[in-house]
Parts: sequence; structure tokens; C-alpha cells
Amino acid sequence: MGKSAAVARAKPRRNATRRSGDAHARTGLLMAAPVLLLVALFTLYPFGRAIYESTRVSSPIFPPEYVGLENYRDVISSRYFVSAAKTTLLFTAITTPLLVVLGVLVALLLNERFIGNTVLRIGMLLPWAVPATVTGVIWKWIFLDSWGALNAVLYSAGVIDSYIAWLTTPKLAMMAVVIVFVWSQLPLAAIFLLAALQSIPDDLYESAALDGASAFGRFWAVTLPGIRPMLVIVALYELLMAITNFDIVYALTQGGPGSATTMLTYFTWSESFKQLNLGRGSALAIVIALGSLLAILLLIRAMPRDALVEDAT
Amino acid sequence: MRRQSLFRRILIYSGAMLLAFFCFSPFVLVMIGSTLPEVNLISFPPNWFADPPSLANFNYIFTGTIPESYQQRGALRTMISNEVRNVPRSMFNSAVVATAVMIINLVLGSLAAYAFARIRFPWRRAAFTFVLMSRLIPIVAIAVPYYVIVQRLGLLNSYWALIAIYSVLTLPFTTLVLTLHFRALPPEIDEAAQLEGASPWRILRDITIPLSLPNLVGAGLFAFMLSYSEFLFALFITTSSDRRTLPVLLGSLSTNTDVSWGLLMASITVGIIPTLLLATPVWRFMIRGLTAGSVK
Repeated sequence: MGKSAAVARAKPRRNATRRSGDAHARTGLLMAAPVLLLVALFTLYPFGRAIYESTRVSSPIFPPEYVGLENYRDVISSRYFVSAAKTTLLFTAITTPLLVVLGVLVALLLNERFIGNTVLRIGMLLPWAVPATVTGVIWKWIFLDSWGALNAVLYSAGVIDSYIAWLTTPKLAMMAVVIVFVWSQLPLAAIFLLAALQSIPDDLYESAALDGASAFGRFWAVTLPGIRPMLVIVALYELLMAITNFDIVYALTQGGPGSATTMLTYFTWSESFKQLNLGRGSALAIVIALGSLLAILLLIRAMPRDALVEDAT
Repeated sequence: MRRQSLFRRILIYSGAMLLAFFCFSPFVLVMIGSTLPEVNLISFPPNWFADPPSLANFNYIFTGTIPESYQQRGALRTMISNEVRNVPRSMFNSAVVATAVMIINLVLGSLAAYAFARIRFPWRRAAFTFVLMSRLIPIVAIAVPYYVIVQRLGLLNSYWALIAIYSVLTLPFTTLVLTLHFRALPPEIDEAAQLEGASPWRILRDITIPLSLPNLVGAGLFAFMLSYSEFLFALFITTSSDRRTLPVLLGSLSTNTDVSWGLLMASITVGIIPTLLLATPVWRFMIRGLTAGSVK
């Protein structure tokens, strides 16, 4: 739609709303109120509560006691935290680029015409759509050291002579978590990128082809710039998902072997609900929140402004 | 379009096959596994198909008839067996919670979305931004306080706690999607109705909602699916076996060292049926939302 048409359309609406006065505005506020109240109640209060909890020691045995920032100091200086932070960093650094590259490849593939394309597009969603614990269980069976499906298949095919301890070898366990995470996140990344690909006008490709650009040249000059905003969004989204990923680790490895796959969220959960140390758990949660905040701020910056809020003035 | 060269076609089809293999083979394995007795699954050297496949595992989940293969070898695993029998119950729990969340999303979400899309009121923009941004708070940061609050209110093991939490988690997205959609409807219809003296409530009910049914269904199912799958909150809110949701039950089965994998695979197969059924409509909705958003 042209810009002038949009302006012409917006004008009568503005007049109409101006005529109807305060009553109209009150109705609007009333309509939005339930959502606003619910969201405010369930985000502002718990967040304040988390900050409050993080400044005290509470355990099932002792009465709560205010300790200032001690929880934060304890948590950050503990070697478990450092180890979990390193693991999280490593995991994020592997999965985010991997997902972006694979996402682009899959999107390019699904953008081609071939028999079975629709089935694949719809079926693609399944790994993303099944509950994450189901994902964890399925893949746990596949990777299981003792009688896992992968071992059984590889052994039957004569590829391996003895079963491989996928989940109890630190490096292999990490690799398993990466594979499962990619499996569950790839659909969304690919579908977002596919949508971006489809919004690139065909004539851009045609004129690039007329200029004698190769397939790779066209990808570089037309496709990549066309999907760049979505690339940034997908990268940051997957970054956030990698940092906050919990369910897969919980179901697949329980953070093990040892602490090889213990990432910050799993560590937080185990501090809070296994060690029942809510104060430390909250302090950890807030540290993670602040860490993710950086990624979030980048995410907002990357989004086109009008995608979030229509200019209300 | 240009005709595809042979090389290109080979590339495309092998890529598609690779992708299909990566995406679907785990599901195929699970379905195969669900029809096999435990003894065959854990045999070494692997011999999965020593006995013919059967539906005995499924039969056990729904009727409690213990599969023959368990009795033959005298390896009765009661612990896991009892837990597996909760699968239908946990699916019911998940469905109850998810349905309630879907209804709340549709009612409250469309009300708020209509206000954001069509009515000018003070702080509209700030309110809209606030609702959207609320979702950017990482879940781990509010999990502990949620637990404390739910516990103080005595709502552990209740549907209500889950329904409220999932509604808050899904409403921002529903509101965003519906707002964008309502805004895309031609405003002239609203204006005409308004001139006739119709109130916003009336316009929403009689015009906007009937015009938006496909999107409402899509947004509702999306909320349903997220609630059906949520794990972290359900894990600490539902502790008694008759209230646990499907993801929690499956998570618990998976960490049970006494797990019978044949039964577990059967549980998964049953448990993901709703997801399989919802995949197509939800996907359509997502693609439409994404492409509609890109066309200005």
C-alpha cells in the first residue's frame, strides 16, 4: 500500500476519535485493564520479591535474616558459579552461530520448489512444538550409554565395536545437549528466516541475474541484505534461548556428568529447589537477569521501532 | 520460474532428505520403541525385533493389563508401571490448564488488543510497551518468587496457580498478535458502526471478532500449545501425582532409574498426539502472522 493511501485512511479515524470524548477513553482503559493488572501483578511484584529474597538468608531450618549483598558475593565467587557461567558461555557461543547458519540453509532449502515441501514445512514445526521434557526424554533414549538407540543402530550397522558413553563423557554430553538444543530450536529460526526470504521482491534477483551475478553473488548481494534484520532478531532470540535453556538439560543430563553440562539456569534451579537456598537462588536469578538484559537491549534495538509500537501521536 | 538444473535438483532433494531425517527420525524411533517389549530394547547385542511388535505397552497405560513380556521374564517393574499409568490423567491436567489459559487469552487478549488497536486512551503507548516488555524478564528471575507466592496462598497443586501463571506468560504475545491484526482491519467499518451509535464493546463483539476468527483460533491454539508444554513452573507447583501435568510426569519418568523404556516411549507417543494435531493450524497461523507483519 502506498504511503498516501495510508495517510488518507488515517485522517477520518483521527477525527472520529477526537469527537468521541472521555467516555471513549475510559472504555479503552477498562478494556485493557485486566491484562494490564494481571501482567503488572505477576511481573512487578515477583521481580521486587526476588530482589528482596536475594538479600536475605532463608532456609527451612533458620528464620530469614537480612544479609545485604552477601548472597551475591557468595554466589559469584563460588567456583560452581564460575564453572556454570563458563559452560553457559561455551554453549551459547556454539549454538547461536550454528542455529543462524543452519537456519539460513534450511530456509533457503524450504524456499525452493520440490515435492514434499509442504509436508516438510509443517513437519519441521514438530521438534519445536513438542514439550521440551519430551524432547529430553526422546533424546536421552537415543544417547543412552547402555542401550540407547544410537548405540544400538551404530552397533548393528557395524560402525562401532562397543557402545559409546555419550552421556557420561563430559565432551560428548555437551555435544549431545547442543544437538538436542539445535534440534528443538532450528524450526523456529528457519521459519522466521523463511518468512524474511519470502518478503524479498523477485525483481531484485532478476536484475542481479541480468547484471551477471552468480548464484553465490546473488545470495551475497540480494539475499543476505534482505534478511539481515531477521538474522539479527533470530541470532539474539537464540542467544536468549541458549542462556535461559533449562528443560533439555534437566531431562537429558541433569547437569552431568559432574558439572559438565550445568549451566546457569540449571545451577539456579538446583540452588533454589534442591538445596532449598531461596536467597542464593534469587541472587543468581537476578545476576542472570542482568546478564540477559544486555542481550535484551540489543534485541530491542535490532527491532524496527514500528514493529513494536505504532506511533500513537 | 527457471527450470532447475539436475545438479541443483540433486542438491535440493538430498538436503530435504537430510533435513527430514534430522527432524523426524527421533519420532520414528520412539514409535518403533513404543511397540517393543523392554527386554528386546535393552538386549545386547541389540535385537529389537526378537518378538513381533505389539500394542501391549499402550494397553497397559490405559487398562493396567501388564504386558506379557514382563511376566515371562519375571522382571515386573512396579514403580515405573504405577507412574506410567498416570499418563492419561496428566494429559487431562495439561489439557484443563491449557484450555483455561486459551479462553482467558482470547477473552482478555481481544479486549486489550481492541483497546490498543482502536481506542485512544491516556498512556496507551506506555501500557502497550509495558505489556510487551514484561515478557523480557527471564523466567528464572521470577520462578522463585512465584513459588513463594503460590505456596503462601496455599495454591500448590492447584490448577489455578498454573492457569494464572501461564496466562501472564502468554497474554503479552496474544495481545501483540491480536493488536496488530485488529489494526490491519479496515477502520471504516468501525467508524460506520460508531456513527450508528454502537459502543466499542458491541463493535468488538459483533464486528471485529467475527472478522478475526481465524486469527483468534490461531492465537488461542498457540497459547494452548505453550501451556500444554510448559515445564519449569509446573514442576514446582504440581507435586502430587493427581495434579502433575504431562511434561512434569514425563520429566519425572525420564529421571526414574527404574524406567521401562518401552512404556516410556508409549507414554510419549500418547502424550504428543495433541501436539501433532495442533501442528498444522498453529504453523499456518505463524506463517500468516509473519508474512502479514512484513507487508506494510
